[in-house]
Amino acid sequence: MVDHHVEIEQLVKTYPGAQKPSVDRVSFSLPRGEMLALLGPSGCGKTTILRMIAGLIAPTSGAIRIDGRDVSAIPVHKRNMGMVFQSYALFPHMTVARNVSFGLEMRKVGKTEIEERVKKALDLVKLTGLGERKVSQLSGGQQQRAAIARSLVIEPELLLLDEPLSNLDAKLRDEMRDEIREIQARTGVTAIFVTHDQDEALSMADRLAVMSNGRLEQIGTPREIFDRPQTDFVATFIGAGNFFSGKVREPGVAEVEGLGELRFSGEAPTGSSVKLMVRPHRLVLDGTGAAGVNRFSGTVEHIVYRGQTLTLTVRCGTQRLQADLPTHAGVLPEKGGEITLAVAPEDVTFIEKAAA
Amino acid sequence: MNPAARSADGSRRVLLMLLLPGLVALGVTFVLPLLWLFRASFASSAIGAFSGGDWTLSSYETVLTDPFYWLVAWNTLVLGFNVAVFTVILSYPIALFLARTESRWRGVLTALAVAPLLTSSVVRTYGWMVILGDQGVINSTLQALSLTDGVVRLTNNSFGATVALIEIFMPYAILAMLSGFGRLNTQLEEAAAMLGANRLKVFTRIILPLSLPGVLTAALLVFVLAISAFVTPRLMGGGRVFVLGTEVYNEATVTLNWPLAAALSVLLLVLFSSVIVIYQRALRALEA
Repeated sequence: MVDHHVEIEQLVKTYPGAQKPSVDRVSFSLPRGEMLALLGPSGCGKTTILRMIAGLIAPTSGAIRIDGRDVSAIPVHKRNMGMVFQSYALFPHMTVARNVSFGLEMRKVGKTEIEERVKKALDLVKLTGLGERKVSQLSGGQQQRAAIARSLVIEPELLLLDEPLSNLDAKLRDEMRDEIREIQARTGVTAIFVTHDQDEALSMADRLAVMSNGRLEQIGTPREIFDRPQTDFVATFIGAGNFFSGKVREPGVAEVEGLGELRFSGEAPTGSSVKLMVRPHRLVLDGTGAAGVNRFSGTVEHIVYRGQTLTLTVRCGTQRLQADLPTHAGVLPEKGGEITLAVAPEDVTFIEKAAA
Repeated sequence: MNPAARSADGSRRVLLMLLLPGLVALGVTFVLPLLWLFRASFASSAIGAFSGGDWTLSSYETVLTDPFYWLVAWNTLVLGFNVAVFTVILSYPIALFLARTESRWRGVLTALAVAPLLTSSVVRTYGWMVILGDQGVINSTLQALSLTDGVVRLTNNSFGATVALIEIFMPYAILAMLSGFGRLNTQLEEAAAMLGANRLKVFTRIILPLSLPGVLTAALLVFVLAISAFVTPRLMGGGRVFVLGTEVYNEATVTLNWPLAAALSVLLLVLFSSVIVIYQRALRALEA
C-alpha cells in the first residue's frame, strides 16, 4: 500500500519561448487528509503547479501521482479534482444550487440524489436555504462558500484552492480562514492551496512548501519553516529576523564580527562560515546587565510602539539588532538608553543551505 | 432656500446645459423630420406635405388594403429574418474566436474582421454582382466546367440580395457580439471542465448561454439594418425584389407620391419598434 496520497515528482514546466522553467524539478508528497500550502511571492510558480495538478496545463516533464497512479495523461474533466478559483468562477447564469449540482449533473447522478447532496453541501458551508439565490445576490464570503460547496459536492480526490482568501476583506478573511480549515478537517479531503500570504499559510496549513523562482526552497510544518528556515530565502520571506555572518570557532559557537561570540543550535563544521538568524521576538531584556552567553549590550536607537509589542532597534557594537519586546515587561526601555538583550542558543538558528 | 438645495439646483442646471447641445441637434435633425414624416403621411399630395394642407387617411388606406404592400411587408420581414439568422450563424464562430483568443494578433484580427466597413456598402454590392452575376465568376466557372447548360440565377432575385446583405452586415454583427460577450471568461470554462464537463458540455452549458445576449443584440441590429436596407436589395434585386426600403425610395423619387412614401416609412417604424420590444422581452427573460 502506498502511504502517500498525492505525489509530485520532478515536476517541470517550461513555457514555450521562455528562457528558464517556471517550475523547476519540484517534488513533494502529501498523506491523505493533509492540507498543504504552496507559499511564495507572485511569479514563483506556485499557481502553475496547482494548475498542472488540476490538469489545466500540461507539465513539460515529471509525474503527478494519486494513490501511486500517474494522472498526467488524464484530461481535466476526468480527473475528479475540486478547484476553488481565486475569482470563484461561479456560473453567473445559474442559481447557487445549479452551480453546486453542475458537477453531479455531469456525472449523471440521479435527480433525488443530486437534491440530497446539494442540500448537504450547502449545509456544510452554511448556505442553508440560499440555493435558489442568483450568484450576484451573494456577498463575497457567500460566493466563496458556494465555490467551496461546488468543488466538494463531487467528492473530489483532491481539493485545490487558488489564493482562496485574497478577494475578501480583512475581517471576512479571518473568518473564512478558520472556516476552510474546519470544512477540510470535517470532510477529511486532501487539500493544496496557493497563497502569497505567510500568515494565511502558517495558520491554515499542516505543512508549507515555500517556493521561489520555480524551485521548492523548503517543505515542513509551520514551526519548522518559521523556526528552522534552511535557506536565505525562507528565512527572509517568512517573518522578520536579525541575520549574522560568522565563523564557527568551536561546535555551537560562532564569532560574529562587531558583536562577539554567538552560541547557536545546529551542527556546523568548525572553521566554516555560517549564517545565523535570531527572530526579533526571541530577544529578551536582560535586567542584570552582566556579560554572559549571548548577551549583548547596546544603545536604543529607535522605538516603535505596536500595542502588544515594542519594536526596538538597538545598536550593539557595529551591529544593529531588532527586538520585539512585550509591552508588559516591567520598566520599558527608552530611546537613547543602554540595555542588554539576551537570546537562548536554541533560538539562534543556523541557516544550513545559506549562500555563504 | 438652504445651501444644499441651491447646490442641487445648480448641478441640475449644469446638467441641463451640458445636455442642451445634444438635445438641440437631435431635435433639429431627428425629432423634427420625424414629426414632419408623420404629418406628410396624412397629406393628400406632396404639396400638402409642406404647407398646412388637408389631413387624410388615404395613404394608409392604400397601404393597408392593397395586397401588393402586404406582400412587400412580408418580403421585408422574410429578408430581414433570413439575413439576421445567417449573418449571426456565420459571425458567431468568428466573434467567439476573437473574444477567446489570447493571441497577440487579436487586435489585428479584430481590425481585419471589421475592415470591410472601410468600403462603402454600394461598392461591396457591386462586388457581389461581379461574383454572382449571370456572367459572373460563379456562373462562368460552372459553365467552363460544363456543370450547367444555362445560367444559374444568382442575382436579380432575393437570393442575391440576401447573400450580399449577409456579407455586408457581418462586421456589424461581429462587433455587436464582441460587446455582448462580456460575461464569457476562460475561468468559467475551466471551472466547468474541472467539474467534469467535456468540451461539448462546456460549450452548451457555459459558453452558449453566456454569449446569448451578444447573439441577440447582433441579431436585432442586423434585422433592423436589413429591413431598412434599400441600395443592396435594389441593385442585387435588379428591380425584382420588392421590400419596404425600395418601395419608399420608389414612391419618393420615381412616383413622387410623398404621402405614400411617408406612410410606408411609418409602417417600417412600427416594424422596428415591435422588434425592439420583442428583443427587450427576450433579453429580460435571458437574464432572469
